Amino acid sequence: MDIDETPPPKKLRNKQRVLMLSSRGITHRMRHLMNDLETLLPHVKKDAKLDSKNHLNLLPELADLNNCNNALYFEARRHEDLYLWAAKTPNGPSIKMHVQNVHTMDELKMTGNCLKGSRGILSFDKAFDESEWGRLTKEVFTHIFGVPPQARKAKPFIDHILTFSILDNKIWFRNFQIVEKDPLQPNGPPQTTLVEIGPRFVLTPIRIFEGAFGGATVFSNPEFVSPAAVRAALNKERGIRYKNRKF
Amino acid sequence: EDVILQQKVEVDNTLAMERIRETIRLDPSLPWTETLVVSYPETIDADVDDDLNREMAFYKQALHCAKEAKALAAKHSFPFTRPADYFAEMVKSDAHMERIRQRILDETSSIKRSE
Repeated sequence: MDIDETPPPKKLRNKQRVLMLSSRGITHRMRHLMNDLETLLPHVKKDAKLDSKNHLNLLPELADLNNCNNALYFEARRHEDLYLWAAKTPNGPSIKMHVQNVHTMDELKMTGNCLKGSRGILSFDKAFDESEWGRLTKEVFTHIFGVPPQARKAKPFIDHILTFSILDNKIWFRNFQIVEKDPLQPNGPPQTTLVEIGPRFVLTPIRIFEGAFGGATVFSNPEFVSPAAVRAALNKERGIRYKNRKF
Repeated sequence: EDVILQQKVEVDNTLAMERIRETIRLDPSLPWTETLVVSYPETIDADVDDDLNREMAFYKQALHCAKEAKALAAKHSFPFTRPADYFAEMVKSDAHMERIRQRILDETSSIKRSE
């Protein structure tokens, strides 16, 4: 009788931990958005604000110190513009995005609710699979926004869904509660409906870098115009109008 | 007046992006329950400025994916629906939900009054 003593195959695991932090100078709305993401994603470790905006190369080290293999860094500029870096640490890639149209969960419009720390379904529309930057973004977001099953505070049931959709070359984020009850017939067959929980935001990809917070650019969005440039153009137009009226 | 034309350099290095994606990719043999990712087989075709239709398109995507996820969960015998007797902390507190409810009540009563 031959004894075949091979060790049992190692069970494959999706191990992700995300370090989340912001730069200094974020407004209350940005802070609330960060808090919302922290409550929704139990595998996120929140850290203190980063002092310097020029030394982003510290971030991979910081993530390593916290046993994280992903990082979400919110960078506020001029107390009004918000940028989001989503990065795989320590080897990259990293995606820099501009955050717009932020609505947080504190607003009273959105009536949904879900378990704190339940794992959300991730849904991506087809446009993510149609371009290479889309596929890469989908992979990175799967790591960052997908709650791994063994996350310490994860709950064993699913009651919400995070959707990412590309529209107008921007990534739109929504979060819905999954309700499995027919509001008209509570005792009838369960009917899946959705109620929005929040938060909402829109991300415009700016650049994708090969490394974590640095390295060669592998993608840049030609359509992106910085919000400061938009404001400057508006001011200039107003200036021209004034000049024409005056002289 | 001279206008300096700034030509933006566009980078779209698909080969590099594909290589990077290969290095970070999760093992394809991972069971679905590890990632819970569902892809929507359609793109979103809505006018960006048309709030109602745009949100409807997102809702449709989410609903389609939620149903698909439920079927997948059943296939993997993975618990999906929360039982009615399972209570735990929610993302929005009871006080917050009460404020939302109050607001809805206020709105409906003001609509009734104006009728």
